[in-house]
Amino acid sequence: MVTKTEETQLNRLEGQVENGGGGAWDYLCFVRKLKVRRSDKVLKYGLSILNDPKKRSSLGPEEWTLYEQVAIAAMDCQCFDVAKDCINVLQKRFPESKRVGRLEGMLLEAKGSWTEAEKAYLSLLEDNPLDQVIHKRRVALAKAQGNMSGAIEFINKYLETFMADSDTWRELAEIYVSLQMYKQAAFCYEELILAQPTVPLYHLAYADVLYTLGGLENLQAAKKYYSSTIELTGGKNTRALFGICLCTSAIAQLTKGRNKEEKDSPDLQSLATAALEKDYKQRASDKVSVLGSALKSLKVSS
Amino acid sequence: MAEDLVLDTAIRDWVLIPLSVVMVLIGVLRYFVSKLMRSYQVPDAKIVKEGQVIVRARNLRSGANFIPPKAFRARRVYFSNEENGLLFVPKGQAQNAQAQMFSDPNMAMDMMKKNLSMIIPQTLTFAWVNFFFSGFVAAKIPFPLTQRFRSMLQNGIDLSTVDVSYVSSRSWYFLNLFGLRGLFSLILGEENAMDDTQRMMQMSGFGFDPTKSLSAEKDSLDIIQHEWALPKFEQRAEAVLRKLVS
Repeated sequence: MVTKTEETQLNRLEGQVENGGGGAWDYLCFVRKLKVRRSDKVLKYGLSILNDPKKRSSLGPEEWTLYEQVAIAAMDCQCFDVAKDCINVLQKRFPESKRVGRLEGMLLEAKGSWTEAEKAYLSLLEDNPLDQVIHKRRVALAKAQGNMSGAIEFINKYLETFMADSDTWRELAEIYVSLQMYKQAAFCYEELILAQPTVPLYHLAYADVLYTLGGLENLQAAKKYYSSTIELTGGKNTRALFGICLCTSAIAQLTKGRNKEEKDSPDLQSLATAALEKDYKQRASDKVSVLGSALKSLKVSS
Repeated sequence: MAEDLVLDTAIRDWVLIPLSVVMVLIGVLRYFVSKLMRSYQVPDAKIVKEGQVIVRARNLRSGANFIPPKAFRARRVYFSNEENGLLFVPKGQAQNAQAQMFSDPNMAMDMMKKNLSMIIPQTLTFAWVNFFFSGFVAAKIPFPLTQRFRSMLQNGIDLSTVDVSYVSSRSWYFLNLFGLRGLFSLILGEENAMDDTQRMMQMSGFGFDPTKSLSAEKDSLDIIQHEWALPKFEQRAEAVLRKLVS
């Protein structure tokens, strides 16, 4: 995940390169480090460096990394001939390489020849059954074909061996949510929270899933996770604030008449609404009235 | 009693500096040789899986208070279940890892190579130092020492009345042996700064022994009491919001 300072730095470099200020190589290295997807710019500036033989030779051994980066960007922008050229250059330099094999598989995938791509990946996996990247590419292949259950099956098998990989758990959670399998998605988000308990994103997503599942216990748990998100982000997360309001009104609806529940945080909802109003006044003052009516409808039902 | 001996500057020029230079060069040479000789070790699927299981169990322990109690209990049973829990290792298999490591020819070869690249330069340098640079006082240590160090530091010097601060070149060799790590980290980059002492420690370790760590993780997991931290968060969120709104 990219931090705010890195984002501003990236934008600054991008602006600098676009206005002809040089520094294209720094920009490309930075994009590569942050794993951000800016394929059209990478393609444009990468090709300009690669087609200029003087600049290319000044790169030294980094030249091959640049070829790989440009090949992937070309595939993103559907420029298959550019990608094919880069891959050929790499193959001449590094025959029998796993990395080049992966690029070839990606090219087949980009062109849409699913079965051949699958065959290529399977043969690569035979040589290296523990290669994480190839496994993930297989999952991406299944997902691109729209075969969600196949993708889930591949990910589960992958996670049996590599169960400490947070990115994969995240991907699995998102797939489950898209298929509305909320209980399984909740499990995945619990794994993510265990691995990185201070990342508010996972608390928020877990709270969303719990709220969607419904039921009194889940709603109460969702409220708690929304509050932990608020605490972790210092109260600035609008979604969590809304979540608190919604949860409180939903809980109140479910427990109407049963006043045995002791409210250990009675002011939470009013505080959340106050914070929301303040936020909207600051940032989107024309929408304050919409906000007001929405909140009022929530309060009425509570 | 302690008369100051005046040491010839020629000693500094021809003993101390060349010895340090030689040791630095040998360290750099060893680094490059090890890079050339490094053989690619195919990771065993079982070992990779066990490593990842341990990481996941550790995550479960550290983050246990952040997930609901039911979820925690379900995971704990999954890990430490008697029959097919991930962390459960039947007693018979426990001793196999070390025996396997010895019998596996590839691993034995690797260990041998690593040990050799360590022992041979040390032995050669030490013999060289002894042969050429013994029998005279090489340096003076700036702080006073007790008499017990005499046998260690003044090995070539056969006079028993010389102050212990005056040491032989053998001790300069040992000083360099333990102290050149900082220099190597400058020259070779941060992660390659491996001093000889660290390599010696690596030599004695037998590498990754998963079964012991698995049962250790299982025990610590069994001990944990789950205390759901989330209810407190509601009050903390209230406090945060109060500060924000006011």
